[in-house]
Amino acid sequence: MSGAVGGSTVVDRLKAKTGWKGGERVTLVEAGQVRRLCDAIGDDNPRWREEVPPTFVVALASETPDFREALDYGKGWLNGGDRFEYLEPIRVGDTITARSTLVDVYEKQGTSGGLLFLIVETEYVNQHGRTAVRLRGTRIRR
Amino acid sequence: MMTTPPEVGQELPELVKHPTTRQLVQYAGASGDFYEIHYDQDFARSTGLPGVILHGLLKAGFLAQLVTSWAGAQARLKAFDVSYRGLDQPGVPCRCQGVVRSIEGITAELEIWTEDPEGRRTTLGNATVELS
Repeated sequence: MSGAVGGSTVVDRLKAKTGWKGGERVTLVEAGQVRRLCDAIGDDNPRWREEVPPTFVVALASETPDFREALDYGKGWLNGGDRFEYLEPIRVGDTITARSTLVDVYEKQGTSGGLLFLIVETEYVNQHGRTAVRLRGTRIRR
Repeated sequence: MMTTPPEVGQELPELVKHPTTRQLVQYAGASGDFYEIHYDQDFARSTGLPGVILHGLLKAGFLAQLVTSWAGAQARLKAFDVSYRGLDQPGVPCRCQGVVRSIEGITAELEIWTEDPEGRRTTLGNATVELS
């Protein structure tokens, strides 16, 4: 199948990008942004008026890797999973710097064709220079 | 919130969500994830999906709510991982459930998941909580 041949080329080109680092994104954590995320989830825990809820950091991530090469593989993206590690709370008023790195690229055969996995790790560092959260995300082209 | 110390095997109070397409748009705006499979039916179908689907991270948000509301204000979530295994669509209830798998000192390990009305687990995960 020609798609498989093209697919393997795409995989090789993306594998070569392992270690790629996204630009830093610096964000002041604002109460309104936290509230909008809590409203969207439907989580009205009063704790989140001062502290951010566990998945908030995804709104602060540096740009999702915009690899044009990946768009030649499959028809769309799916999210495979996310792993969060919490080292220090993030509070409203903190300034968080997010840095993402492409740490792994691999291909698997699924039941309905090939799947391309991109593993991206993002570190969220606070204004004191301490890592508050680490996130390892699995993004899939299919 | 817990009223008694947790025990291994204890189930967390179920959290049932009733996601709507409106909520997916709201989540897109709040999270910055504007990928069209979450609000544009035609686009979603063009990628082989049955229609728009929930953001995986919205389901993660539901499960984080399940865990943190159970654990209480003094508890600290140390680690949280989720694997998105099935598609969830708006208009279909998303049941968030969990069980205490182990307790060591003040640290509890939880197994968490979302389930659709057919009983399929569409998200699988684990959480590590310091109960203090």
